[in-house]
Amino acid sequence: MGQSVLPSDYAQWMIAARRQLRFYLRTWRFIGLLIFVLIIGVAGTALSIAYHDSGTSAANNFAGLTTGLSTLGIIICAFMGGDAIAMDFGSGTGYYLLVLPVRRRVLLLGRYAAAFLASFALILVLYAFGLFSTVWFYGIGRVPWFALGSSIGLAALFALAVISTAFLFSAFFRSPAVSMVVTILVLFLGFEILDGALSVTSVEPWFSLLYAGGALSLPFQPLPHKTVITGMGARMLTLTTWNPHLWEGAAIMIVYFVVGLVLSLVLYDYKESKG
Amino acid sequence: MSDTSSIEVQGLTKAYFGGVAPALRDATFRYEGAGAIGYLGPNGAGKTTTLKVLTGLLRPTHGRALLNGIDVTRSRKRALADVGSVIESPEPYPSQTVAEAIEMVGEFRGAPRGELGAEIARLSESLDLPPLDARCGALSKGQRQRVVLAASLVGDPRIVILDEPTTGLDPKERILIRNLLNQLKKDHLILMSSHLMQEVTEICDQVIFINQGQILLRDTVENVANRFRSRAVDVEFATPILVDKIRALGPAFTSATVVGERRFRLSFDGSIDARASLLRGLVTVGPVIGYQSASLALEDAYLALVAGGANGAPA
Repeated sequence: MGQSVLPSDYAQWMIAARRQLRFYLRTWRFIGLLIFVLIIGVAGTALSIAYHDSGTSAANNFAGLTTGLSTLGIIICAFMGGDAIAMDFGSGTGYYLLVLPVRRRVLLLGRYAAAFLASFALILVLYAFGLFSTVWFYGIGRVPWFALGSSIGLAALFALAVISTAFLFSAFFRSPAVSMVVTILVLFLGFEILDGALSVTSVEPWFSLLYAGGALSLPFQPLPHKTVITGMGARMLTLTTWNPHLWEGAAIMIVYFVVGLVLSLVLYDYKESKG
Repeated sequence: MSDTSSIEVQGLTKAYFGGVAPALRDATFRYEGAGAIGYLGPNGAGKTTTLKVLTGLLRPTHGRALLNGIDVTRSRKRALADVGSVIESPEPYPSQTVAEAIEMVGEFRGAPRGELGAEIARLSESLDLPPLDARCGALSKGQRQRVVLAASLVGDPRIVILDEPTTGLDPKERILIRNLLNQLKKDHLILMSSHLMQEVTEICDQVIFINQGQILLRDTVENVANRFRSRAVDVEFATPILVDKIRALGPAFTSATVVGERRFRLSFDGSIDARASLLRGLVTVGPVIGYQSASLALEDAYLALVAGGANGAPA
């Protein structure tokens, strides 16, 4: 056996990302999410064909398809990253990996890259369905490529932000299963409830990741920043719905991405393998 | 980094819950070169805690853990560069094949890529690994234990730290690992915790006894065996013997217990002279076909030390 030379942090990051991505792509959760995404994509495309309004533009078509993308993106990314840190402290994986001559942050960043690539691949499948139906109705020459590229770029940023947040949540649990369930519930239901509750208070939910996700459809179709609806229901409620400015959505995503990732790295570095 | 492998802990203390539950108290030892060190103590004694601090899984409350002279807490990556370890029950990713799980560790350690395949094949043969294309998630506990042991050895690290490496293995697997460790210790430094005194006696050159977080005794296996010589022997005759005939031998032993019509356990003062004198007397009583210590010296040492705490150690 020749002499081993310890690889650089970058080389070990590449190894971690490659190995972890292979692991993710083989899991039932990825296969399940892929099936889920394909069903949503096929159903969405079928509905858009069935109820196609010839008066709408290609950009409108894309805008409609990306409206619910932030919610789907949260589900996908929370599933992929919801147990990222807990898995090393609640199962034997940590005893296999954390005793190796690799910096913990390098391992976690490799896992982060893999979770992002797996999640983003699933999000791109949804965009592919949107592109397919747009080309079907309007032809390839009418595809709003710049808006599509901008929206995909924002979707990538959104995925990074959600995965950072999911990683951060997973640092507080020992059981990977509990961690994943809680992360999904908090990110999916928590933000939905928060945004819903704030709509009756007229407070702009500038701190909500789901609100920031609304920016994904803005490159296709600008929406009013604030819409007030009065006289709702028997109690004559006034509801305020908010859409972020594009820059605002991107800024919120960047904050979640950076803060979540930095805190995850610190917690992962300091967490001990007890018990 | 020095050329000689070394494992060292200096005043190592690990306390949980703000210091009210010390798992390890002021442990200090240093070993270098090649050989095998057995780390013995009851459950909760602090063995695994020490090994976890040494492998960077826990941070010490006080003191230092050094591998090849490098502080594990301060420079984890460099300190663990030449260390293979199996702590608690490691689990590779369940979807990885056996080959992938070992290969990944080799890649992280920087083992030459062109030689990894051959090394995995060699480890597979010496540890009788399951098929290299089998998924780790489908392995039995014993198979998985052998796979993680193989992974700890890939890249040929000079220091090997093992936490009860044969727990849960069947006798055949234990023999396999015992033989491997006996080969390995010739040019590697091995620190292994164990509950199995037989295993430690057969593999280790040195032993450390720990209880309630404190190191009670450190010495060579031979010295410990001499200090804690067994004070009872089991004797077996080819034909049934009346116990009165043995009792008539006089003061060579302090008591005789009938185990079977041909087998007896005799207590004596533990000295070599008394043991030899006892045997001389027994062969006059009948045809002796078995004569051995009633327990292993390490077992006696373990029981004495654990029962007596630090005071159980002989002067």
